[in-house]
Amino acid sequence: MDSTLSRDRALALRAPAGTRRLVKAGVLLAGASVLGLLEAAIASPIPGVRFGLANIAVMVALVSLGEGPALTVSLLRVGVVGLATGSLLGPTSLLAISGALASWAAMSVALRSRVGFSLVGVSIAGATAHVAAQFAAAALMTGAAGVVLIAPPALLASLPFGIATGFAARLVISRLEGSARTGR
Amino acid sequence: MNRADIILTVVVMLLALALGPAVRAASGLMPASTVTISCPAGTTTVPLGAERTLMIAGNGGPVVVTVHQGSVAVLESSCPDHVCVHTGAISRSGEAIVCVPNGVTVRVGGEPSDGLDAVAR
Repeated sequence: MDSTLSRDRALALRAPAGTRRLVKAGVLLAGASVLGLLEAAIASPIPGVRFGLANIAVMVALVSLGEGPALTVSLLRVGVVGLATGSLLGPTSLLAISGALASWAAMSVALRSRVGFSLVGVSIAGATAHVAAQFAAAALMTGAAGVVLIAPPALLASLPFGIATGFAARLVISRLEGSARTGR
Repeated sequence: MNRADIILTVVVMLLALALGPAVRAASGLMPASTVTISCPAGTTTVPLGAERTLMIAGNGGPVVVTVHQGSVAVLESSCPDHVCVHTGAISRSGEAIVCVPNGVTVRVGGEPSDGLDAVAR
């Protein structure tokens, strides 16, 4: 046990910081893609209502790697999932991209803000922004304001899902970064 | 979850609940769906909400178009095959009834109504 630990530490010291960050981003992208695919396989009873599982990985990237890598992970995830489900470059991928961008932006702002959101609050902000942006984009694309009428149930559903993915992300982050980053 | 999180949750909840009434109020100001009828003599537009029966002059005689309870139908036509009559009533944006022998088309336009075209994942 002891020897494994010290060997791990030695390896970690030898790997340049940039390489470690790159590997971490790659692992998070893979995780986000798998979670996104898993979610795509689950049929949703209400349009626009999803768990937002992929957001766990994006949030982990945001906290442990920073805003730039998190955006990369999020957008590449949309590309990989779109490629795998066959919706890439279709009208729906525009919705997915707008959701991913809004969610990333909202989480970045929430994480930076002095209001003192916990990681769960950051996750709620991301989930809600994701849903709101998708419906806004759908309304713009179809030119039908009526689309917004089916948004409230999805927005309300994003709250418990945002809380759940927030707790999940917090667990992962506390394992990766230690409890110092999750105290808030 | 701390206090800021709970405040955020409550704010989102209130906004979501207020969204429905707000959009409904705003949509009352928007132009309603319309019915556009074109015939050899020209084009007329009637609001879909109206209760009206129109006599349209077609190439081979009259075509009776009725707007009733938010839908449009061709009741009678002077054409030989009555495809337009058998089309029945239409109400959704983009739908159309065409009477080729008479050169009459009835189209519903305006705000596209409900129905999903795609589901994003």
